[in-house]
Amino acid sequence: MADVPNKNRRRRDRAKIAGLTIVAIFVFAAVFADFIASYDYREQTRQEPSAPPSNIRWRDAQGALHLRPFIYAQKLVDARNMRYEEDITRAFPLVNLSRGHSYHLFGILPTDIHLFGVNDQRAENAPRLRLLGTDQLGRDRFSRLVHAVRFSLLVSPIGTLLACLIGVAFGAISGYVRPNLDMIMMGIADTVISLPTLILILAARAAFPLEMPPFKAATLLIVIFALTGWAEMARLTRGLVVSFKEREFVLAARATGLTETRILWRHILPNIASPLLIQATLMLPVFLLAEVALSFLGVGLQEPEPSLGNMLSLSGDLTALSASPLVMLSPAIAIFLFVLGVKLLGSKRPRT
Amino acid sequence: MLRLLVKKLLQGLIMLLIVSAITFTLLSAAGGDALSGLRDNPQISEKTIEDMGKVYGLDKPLLERYAIWLSATARGDLGESLSFRVPVRTLIQGRFFNTAIISLAAITIAAAIAFLLSILAVRSRNRVLAGVTELLILLSASTPRMVLALAALVITLRFSFVPSATGSPGPAHLLLAALVLAIPLISIFLAQLRNGLIDVMGEDYIRLARAKGLSEWRVLTVHALRAALNPFLTVTGLSLGGLLGGSVIVETVLGWPGIGALMVAAVRARDIPVVMGVVLFASVAVWFGNTLAEFLQGLNDKRLRSGDTTRIY
Repeated sequence: MADVPNKNRRRRDRAKIAGLTIVAIFVFAAVFADFIASYDYREQTRQEPSAPPSNIRWRDAQGALHLRPFIYAQKLVDARNMRYEEDITRAFPLVNLSRGHSYHLFGILPTDIHLFGVNDQRAENAPRLRLLGTDQLGRDRFSRLVHAVRFSLLVSPIGTLLACLIGVAFGAISGYVRPNLDMIMMGIADTVISLPTLILILAARAAFPLEMPPFKAATLLIVIFALTGWAEMARLTRGLVVSFKEREFVLAARATGLTETRILWRHILPNIASPLLIQATLMLPVFLLAEVALSFLGVGLQEPEPSLGNMLSLSGDLTALSASPLVMLSPAIAIFLFVLGVKLLGSKRPRT
Repeated sequence: MLRLLVKKLLQGLIMLLIVSAITFTLLSAAGGDALSGLRDNPQISEKTIEDMGKVYGLDKPLLERYAIWLSATARGDLGESLSFRVPVRTLIQGRFFNTAIISLAAITIAAAIAFLLSILAVRSRNRVLAGVTELLILLSASTPRMVLALAALVITLRFSFVPSATGSPGPAHLLLAALVLAIPLISIFLAQLRNGLIDVMGEDYIRLARAKGLSEWRVLTVHALRAALNPFLTVTGLSLGGLLGGSVIVETVLGWPGIGALMVAAVRARDIPVVMGVVLFASVAVWFGNTLAEFLQGLNDKRLRSGDTTRIY
């Protein structure tokens, strides 16, 4: 029996490590989006609409094994059924750190090196590596996916942070004021928690024009998330502040003549930080999903900018969806993995 | 009990006033209205647009418009939809019924699974079962409804055992939509119920009930479950808002003609009366659900009946 807590702890640690790995991969993809994406996410190739993913091969048509994986060029043979055929006369090996379209790493360093790509990018008829195929406009789906992840990972943490700031401030004040005011403030928080948030977000979105430049759209989304999502944090903070403000060490601090603000800031907040952090990890997926939902419904980020939501809305094309569901739903799989990673990271000790 | 009811009623009214005022202001102040589309059309003169604005009362100041909307709403008149050309109330009522059906079905399914699994978890110390429950909680908590809905769509397309998105709402369609809505609820319900039950089973009065010679089943269902029921009811009440939000996605993806799909269409068309109507209906529904949950808690636990909400932390 004695090893049960240890076993639980080990299991929890393993879950946390798995979560951390998943989240780290996503963060890496978001930070180095241009480097990882093989192509420009806006670039349309009209000769290759709705292309299937490239077939990455090790064995050529003659049956010989190659050390480097390679792909064949794909050609559209039947435009009605979007059927492609591979041209097996020439193999194009895949290489790491290939040269492709130029971009600015972190917005400053001009470079044209990408994580992987096809050799001889500039050679005539060189095929493109379509890890996830292309969409109807011939845009590389993998590159779009990576940039969509970047947008999501930019908007939702900022929204979470803002909501947390509002929530912690509101909750801490509520925990300190007279009981009557406290009750009113918590009444407001309870009301906000119980509101049908997504419906209200949609209503707020209806007030603004549908077409919006990406930066404005992102700002609007962040503000809306913060205004609708702070209440649970406020509730948690208030409860923790109330339970801490009569503890011995706080009374001691008060006896030494510290101001209440300083006590709150230096003595109470550091002590309640870890449950607040866990709450923040719970809020992050909610905001991420809200952004995805809005873009999916066509009222978030607009084309041609990619977001997980507007990429998913293309799956309204049911023939494409039933033909290659995994490719069409790759943004959904990305969402699932990221949310799973965040949940694992913030997981509590399993109860037995 | 009456005091509680009066209090909740007042609280609900204030909430409705605030929510509707904020939404109304936002919708009016941001400058765009249903007529802004007409303004881009060179065929339509300024005069016509102005006249139309007068017909809809758009020339009056904001506060007066809100007062007009409020008094009409109080009389049960939500105005006419700008894009569907029918009274908003008739438009919403039918749709609302559809959403209520799948929401109730979803809560029932999720609650049934959660009750079953949590009772099993308490009854047996089977480690496989505990692991499966843990995995189920994790998966259901981390699979967004949008992903589930799209997966469901793919499955229906693959096997076409239910009429897919375009079909008319039949029982199979209902079941599918309800299932997608229910899965994320399972983790919330299950975690709450199971932890509540595990806590309660260690209490002295449970030992007393066992000592009286009651069967384990009776101890569990009559004594323990009743005590674990209240947190469950609270969570159910609180999850209603999220459920309505989820129904927006599920209805849009699976083509269920509910209030969420209507809301999306109204937002796209900037059909303000419908948007206001849906916000109102949704807020009332959530308020009603919460009040009902609190009421049921009062029935279950006599200590809560006084309407005294002294919080225990």
